[in-house]
Formats: sequence, structure tokens, C-alpha cells
Amino acid sequence: MAVYNLYVFDKYGVMLFYNEWNRLKKSGMTQEEEAKLMYGMLYSIKSFVGKMSPIDLRDGFLYYKTNKYALHYLETPSGLKFVISTDTASINVKELLQQFYAKVWVEFVVRDPLWVPGTPVTSDLCKQKIDEFIKQSPIYGIKNI
Amino acid sequence: MIIYGVYIVSKSGGLIFNHDHNIPRIENEKTFSYPIDLVLDYDPKKVSVVFGQKDGINVGHVLVSINGIMANGGTLEDGRDVKAVIEDANNYPLNLKFSRPRMTTNEKIFLASMFYPLFAIASQLSPEPKSSGIEVLEADTFTLHCFQTLTGVKFMVIAEPHQTGLDILLRRIYELYSDYVLKNPFYSLEMPIRCELFDNKLQALLEQVEKGTTALIEK
Amino acid sequence: MSRQTTRFDAKKVNSELLTLTYGSFVTQMLRDYENVDDVNKQLERIGYNMGMRLIEDFLARTSATRCLEMRETADKIQNAFRMYLNVQPTIANWSAAGDEFSLIFDNNPLTDFVELPQDLTNLRYSAILCGCIRGALEMVQLEVQCWFVQDQLKGDNNTEIRVKFIRRLEDAIPAGED
Repeated sequence: MAVYNLYVFDKYGVMLFYNEWNRLKKSGMTQEEEAKLMYGMLYSIKSFVGKMSPIDLRDGFLYYKTNKYALHYLETPSGLKFVISTDTASINVKELLQQFYAKVWVEFVVRDPLWVPGTPVTSDLCKQKIDEFIKQSPIYGIKNI
Repeated sequence: MIIYGVYIVSKSGGLIFNHDHNIPRIENEKTFSYPIDLVLDYDPKKVSVVFGQKDGINVGHVLVSINGIMANGGTLEDGRDVKAVIEDANNYPLNLKFSRPRMTTNEKIFLASMFYPLFAIASQLSPEPKSSGIEVLEADTFTLHCFQTLTGVKFMVIAEPHQTGLDILLRRIYELYSDYVLKNPFYSLEMPIRCELFDNKLQALLEQVEKGTTALIEK
Repeated sequence: MSRQTTRFDAKKVNSELLTLTYGSFVTQMLRDYENVDDVNKQLERIGYNMGMRLIEDFLARTSATRCLEMRETADKIQNAFRMYLNVQPTIANWSAAGDEFSLIFDNNPLTDFVELPQDLTNLRYSAILCGCIRGALEMVQLEVQCWFVQDQLKGDNNTEIRVKFIRRLEDAIPAGED
């Protein structure tokens, strides 16, 4: 079990938050470039899934897996996008993201009067709460290197 | 298990084969009175529902016909403008038929070539070293399994969500491909696959799989 | 989680505190702006900014999905009023095309104790509510217009807010793609 990284984007594609845990491989890009690539990929996957689906979609794209990791995706109706990479064995990640939204994002970011919507999270309290949440989650674990 | 379709993408990213297996046709007809309580987008190419879905006519569905007269994008077959007909109170009641748009061949080719970079980016963005591309992609309405051979050909199967055993199915399709496509002396590599024998065998395999997963393992 | 400790218990906060705070807030604005129209605009704007944040709380708590028709939207707004103000507006007066409806309130907690002076009949005292609806819906890709049709403060029988669908906003496209 392992969590590798977490991205939060708003509906305009601005990266509001990023952090990584136990990540072994860097992509060799700056964080900004990587975020753009990630958002672009998610956007394409979304439109791919919309066209590919044989019947009407409700939630749309949920996750993809490669042989090394899984990327789980949760989009709220307000267009916030929560993206988490985990190992391929992790389960109930969607529920985890939902909880993250309700218990961490709404409580500590949206309600922070100093946070301006559409800008990255800078408050140390928020960052600390996010870190705690991920570290306490059942799927967080340190992999043997 | 329901299998919706099979795609084969060549090494260079072009769609060389596709088979629609079991895609449901979603169509709904309803008689409306004025004013119509759907919000429509009148694009010259298609008239689609943007908001206000009801009775199975969902957002994204495209207008097929009015009073039985086929709509060809923004104009009716008899030459009238769709928007003018729908907005004129004198024409009501109107019977409108909508359907979920189905993919055209061009769209399929486009989507197949779109999957190629997604596959590569997923591997590039991997937090772990030496990751493959996307192997499974899951949405709430379908699951897509992709198998890339060592030679770079990609096989994709689209099925109902939460299916297991699709990996084995992909292997079997690979076997069929190597038997009935590659061994066919008249097939040239990278070109669209038009082999009747392959079509028949694939159809038989899919039907067998849909009846029960045991058939897969027996071989 | 620390949620319980930081969170006010909704039952224990006196609602009169809200009513009084809002009242002195509006009167202070009237003093600062000296112009009723400006105050109306500002109240709407404040509501709009609140709505933009409140929607996240609503979505997270109710795990609501995106609305694809107006009746669903109306139900959710009704639900939100119950959650946040403990009032239950009635949904009524649908337009024929189903794109416009009214929320009718028997009482409005913001206006308990309020008597509107004669010279302030232009003041839309509860404009914050309209702003809130507009801001929240804009965050879920719905552009609406929202205004008061009747107001008990002005001697009407009910308080009635009208909501009109304008259009669905498109999802943002990442830079450099189409």
C-alpha cells in the first residue's frame, strides 16, 4: 500500500495543491510543467471517456491503472478535481477522496477566509491537515526500497 | 458479461480494426407542447440537449427527427430550419425524437489516435520507475482494458464495468490476430484489417465469452 | 479528526445572533455608502462570494451530483435553505418552459425584528440570499438570474425569490488545447 502524490485542480486548470509521499521517480520536469501535462491528460481522458461510453455517463472517469501505479480521479460538480496516485492494490480510494473533500478541503481550505478561490493553498495549517489526513489513511504506507 | 467493442491500434497509432459488439441504441421520442421545456443548442452540425433532461432524453442527446421527418444537423430533410420550427408556437404539438450520438468511423479513428498519447503520458507521469502505459481505464459506465504487445500493437476491449478476465480475452484476441491476420499472406502490416475469417472467429470468441467466463480458461 | 472540535454545533449557536449581526451589518453599510443602490449591489456581491464557497460545503455534505435539469436544481436549493437557514421555502410558479421558478418563504430569519423605514423602500434587505444562490449555481456551471418578487418587509404576503435559468456555462479548456 502506498500513496505517491496528490493534485488538486480547480475548474480552470489551476493547480491549487500538490504534495508527494514516497515518490521514487521524478519526471524530470518542473512541477509547473508536470501539472500542466497532468491536467491536459485528464482533460483528454475526460473527453475520450465521454465519447467512448456506450451509455450516458454519470460520474465519468474513475481511475486508470498501469502495471506500476493507479491514478484515481474525483471531480465535484463545482469542477474541483482531486487526483491521487497510489499503488495498484489500494482499494476504496474514491471514498477516500470523497472524505478528503468533505473533511479536509471544505473544512480547512474553503472555510479559510484568507484563501482566495482560484489560488494555490499557502496556509501551513491546511498543508499540515492534508498531510495528516493522507498519513492516517489506510492506504498510506511506506514501501520498502 | 457484456462486451461493447474491440479496437486494434497499430504500432504507429492508427486504428486498424474495430468491431462494435453490443452497443445499445438509446432513442427516445416525446410529444411536446409550446414552449418546449428542453434547453437545446442549435449547432449547424447537430441540435443537442444542453439542459433540462427528462423522460430519458438526456443532456448530450442529439435531435434525430421532428414529426418523423429526419433532421440533418440544423436543417430538416424537407429543407426547413430546425430552430425556426421548434421556436414557432404554431407548429405545436411537436413530436421530437432524440438519441444518444453514436460514434462515426472518423470519430473512432480520432479517438484511437487520441489514446496513444494518453498511454504515453500516463507512463511519463508515473511516480514509480519503469511504468507501462494505461492497462485499465475505468469509468462508471464501462471499463477499457488495453494490452500492448512487445511489438507495439495495442488491443483494446471495452466492456461493462467491474469485469475480470478481460486480460485473458485480450490474449485470445492476440492469438486470433496472429493466426488469421498476420499469417494471411495478403495482409500488409499497419493496414486496416479486412479478413473475414478473423471477423468470424472474433465474433465467435466474444459470444462464447459473453455466455460465461469458463469458456475462456478452457481454451 | 479535529473536525468535531473546531466546528460549531449548529443547535447551540443562537440564530438571533445572526439576525442581529446581519441587521447591524446592513445599517452600517447604509451609513458607509449613503446610497441604497450601492448597498443593494454590495449585499448581492457579498452573497455571491459566500455562495461560491458554501457550494463546496453543500456538495461535500450531501454528495450531490451535477444537476441536469431545473427541477433537480430547485430541490437542491430548497434543501440548502433547510440546511443553512432552517427554513423550508415552497417551490412554485414554474414557467411553461420549465426554466424559471419561485422560492416562497413563510418567514425569513434575516428579517426577524426588522421594520423597514419609509425612506428605504428601495433597499433589498435580504439581497444576500439572491447573491448566494447565484454564486453557488455559477460554481456548478449554471448561470441564473435571481431577484425578489415579493418581500414581507415591504408589506407583501410572502417573501418570494425568483430564479431564472440563463445558460449552462462550458467547462474550461486547458491552455493550448481545443
